[in-house]
Amino acid sequence: MAVLGPGPASFRFGSVLLILLILSGSSWTRDVPTGRNDTRPEPNRERDGQDRDPGTNATKHKKAFPVLELNYDYVRMPFEISLWILLALLMKLGFHIIPRISHVVPESCLLIFVGLLIGGVIKAIQEKAPVMDTKLFFLYLLPPIILDAGYFLPIRAFTENMGTILVFAVVGTLWNAFFIGGMMFAVCQIEAAAAAHVSLLSCLLFGSIISAVDPVAVLAVFEEIHINELLHILVFGESLLNDAVTVVLYHLFEEFSHADTVTVGDAFLGVVSFFVVSLGGILVGVIYGVLGAFTSRFTSHSRVIEPLFVFLYSYMAYLSAEVFHLSGIMSLIACGVVMRPYVEANISHKSYTTIKYFLKMWSSVSETLIFIFLGVSTVEGPHNWNWIFVVFTLVFCLLSRVLGVVGLTFIINKFRIVKLTKKDQFIVAYGGLRGAIAFSLGYLIHQDEGSKDTRGMFLTAIITVIFFTVFVQGMTIRPLVELLAVKKKKESKPSINEEIHTQFLDHLLTGIEDICGHYGHHHWKDKLNRFNKTYVKKWLIAGERSSEPQLISFYNKMEMKQAMMLVESGSAAKLPSVMAAAAAAPAAPADPAQTAEQQREPTPERMIPKISKTREAEIRRILRANLQNTRQRLRSYSRHDFFMDPFEDNMSEVRFRRQRVEMERRMSHYLTVPAKQQETPSVRKVWFEPEHKVYTYDKNERTRPSDSAALLDESNQRADGQSERQKPTRCLSDPGPDGDEEGSCFRPS
Amino acid sequence: MGSSRSSLRGVPDGQQLLQETGCEPERSGRLGWFCLGLRSEDLEAELSENPIGDRIVGAFFQPGQETVDFPSFVRVLAHFRPTEKNWTRDGVQPEPANSRNRKLKFAFQLYDQDRDGKISRTELLQVLREMLGLQVTEEQLQSIAERAIQEADLDRDDAICFDEFRKSLEKVDIDHKMSVRFLE
Repeated sequence: MAVLGPGPASFRFGSVLLILLILSGSSWTRDVPTGRNDTRPEPNRERDGQDRDPGTNATKHKKAFPVLELNYDYVRMPFEISLWILLALLMKLGFHIIPRISHVVPESCLLIFVGLLIGGVIKAIQEKAPVMDTKLFFLYLLPPIILDAGYFLPIRAFTENMGTILVFAVVGTLWNAFFIGGMMFAVCQIEAAAAAHVSLLSCLLFGSIISAVDPVAVLAVFEEIHINELLHILVFGESLLNDAVTVVLYHLFEEFSHADTVTVGDAFLGVVSFFVVSLGGILVGVIYGVLGAFTSRFTSHSRVIEPLFVFLYSYMAYLSAEVFHLSGIMSLIACGVVMRPYVEANISHKSYTTIKYFLKMWSSVSETLIFIFLGVSTVEGPHNWNWIFVVFTLVFCLLSRVLGVVGLTFIINKFRIVKLTKKDQFIVAYGGLRGAIAFSLGYLIHQDEGSKDTRGMFLTAIITVIFFTVFVQGMTIRPLVELLAVKKKKESKPSINEEIHTQFLDHLLTGIEDICGHYGHHHWKDKLNRFNKTYVKKWLIAGERSSEPQLISFYNKMEMKQAMMLVESGSAAKLPSVMAAAAAAPAAPADPAQTAEQQREPTPERMIPKISKTREAEIRRILRANLQNTRQRLRSYSRHDFFMDPFEDNMSEVRFRRQRVEMERRMSHYLTVPAKQQETPSVRKVWFEPEHKVYTYDKNERTRPSDSAALLDESNQRADGQSERQKPTRCLSDPGPDGDEEGSCFRPS
Repeated sequence: MGSSRSSLRGVPDGQQLLQETGCEPERSGRLGWFCLGLRSEDLEAELSENPIGDRIVGAFFQPGQETVDFPSFVRVLAHFRPTEKNWTRDGVQPEPANSRNRKLKFAFQLYDQDRDGKISRTELLQVLREMLGLQVTEEQLQSIAERAIQEADLDRDDAICFDEFRKSLEKVDIDHKMSVRFLE
């Protein structure tokens, strides 16, 4: 606030207050459950009806035509939803404007706090607040977050640590549930607790609800502390995979608490049910994922709806799993993971960006709403504060988490290559945050569960634990991470070397494992890759990209990123350095790449052209226009002759100029090399006015007003002959074959 | 692959081997039949599908030898034991075979077939060609190799020496990646 001054802050507060008032006003006017809402506008309509009815009323008076009417009920529902979401996002925005608080307090805490405020305000005006009911949460708020997490899951880290994650998720959650449930039952027997009526099964149910680590809370807190990938994936993976366990336990105990007796057969069925729930969820997800990948193979003509396929197939996977009471979260994750490599090979670049940003956007909104609702529901919900119960719940939660993590790590470390240190264990234990899933499940407990008191007591305890973990653990984890000097996430640029060497090492390790006869990690991964390459990719990836090795696609992506960076920064560069660069470019004869180029040049008189200022500007403008519209064309360059790849870390302006010059040179060389079979034919989408000259080096180098355009034109002509037998491969752009739009952009006027 | 077990007695210099490599022959008993002397064809049969199979095979054989005996075999495999974190560089003991440095050196030697201490562009191209096979064009291979050397080559000698190789892999968890679990 010291940074901005009092002005914007007060304005923001004012606007917040205003919104609060409007919201309260809307809640006051809302009578959703009772249906009294049609009383007020009724007289209005009735009166109008009377007016129009000709012969009934003798004393009709002519009402003036209503210029301004109030008809709130027409838009009530969407209006309120939008207002809530808008409020939530404004809050989120506000937090980031205050510089000091957002560093100390994680965003989730602030949002809960805001929710508490709003809940308090609404309660003060004695109205019924919108509570986060379970359907809203599980069907609308949770899926975007999980899909976002699953789609961008780091697969390599996840599969490498799969064993550890599974052990934590399954065994850890079971241990937590039974420990807490059992201990709370013991606590309930204490005289002072006054909760002796709570049965063992209810306690176990409570234990199973509270034991699960929550993915939403973990994401919210861990996002901000940037710890290393291993720890992040351990805690996060655990929070995702324990959903199966939670679902099974919850339904199990709920069923049992209605039944009178529990037999061994029931317990056995419970175990079977666990496998059915988890594997069934994954199966459903895989099926939808394959369907989604297959669909994306044919979307090359309707690029605009590509993102929708990804979203809808994933959502359907979630809902289908929920139909059968399978684990919806695991289904969603499986769908995203399976779909992603194939979909990304098929869709355009714009679609990819759209998917990424939509997922991030939705998950952000969902998360914000969840935390705010959590705050509101806290104020609202049925409470029954039982000191002993709550305190002991908290204590046992922490205790069981620590014991579970330490004990399991001891066992796991016998099987791991890279052991988990004490620091790692501490962070994993400390990162076991509970969140909104626990609350929603608690809310779902039936009213007749013992008595209303029990439910209230459970809910209070759940909320207390959630608050404690999110506030206390969430706020302190960042300083603790600093204090313990836990390894942070390394921000690294993708390096072609790393990729090459990693693949090389994969092959090496597979070979070694084959020699030893040891069917280890690499062996199965290699088998999976082979299977993928020979069968699956042919079906699910369109066109020639199906046989593209991973290294090539990686390389192409890097080239494209570099080209984009080039354009973005080059547009801000100044002209006077052109001459220096143009002079520098030919004056580097010792450059190995140039000698290589000369070796490969078919005719020796190709020389690096001296770029004039006008041509430079021309090239720059056209490149900018082109690169923004058809990235695919640039990709076609990257498949071929990039002689020199000056991939340098500190991009100075001069180097950018040089690279621009280089790119121009490459473009010209591209024209002279006969197009290979894998050439992407989207060059044909480049339409040019035919009056441009064909570009050759040997002729005059003087005035070339639109050289680059001519370059592209010739490439167009050259590619024309082959355009028929080439199918469009992965399109990095274009909403569709809209020739007119493309052509108009390229006209260098 | 035989599953016959061999004991420490049958292996010449068994104790010394144990000290050097940390591998107990009983544990690697599955490989016991290699005592008889392994030829390259035997290994190649296992690695027929592996793109860099012949390089791996070549790493086991000393230059000029036709067979590999058990100690040499174990010495090579010792590189793939999981790293122990508590090994300190005290200068007295030779560096254990499974330290990060030695693992990287082993991998480096697989690239560097002519053993001149550098990975030249041609050697890199060969590796890429083997790994990527027939699906890519020569130009693509050239450009990838070019880019790789550009990135890694810090002293501008157009080749990747061991230090540059190590530097380019500093973010990769070699300890985890180059370890086979059962070789404890």
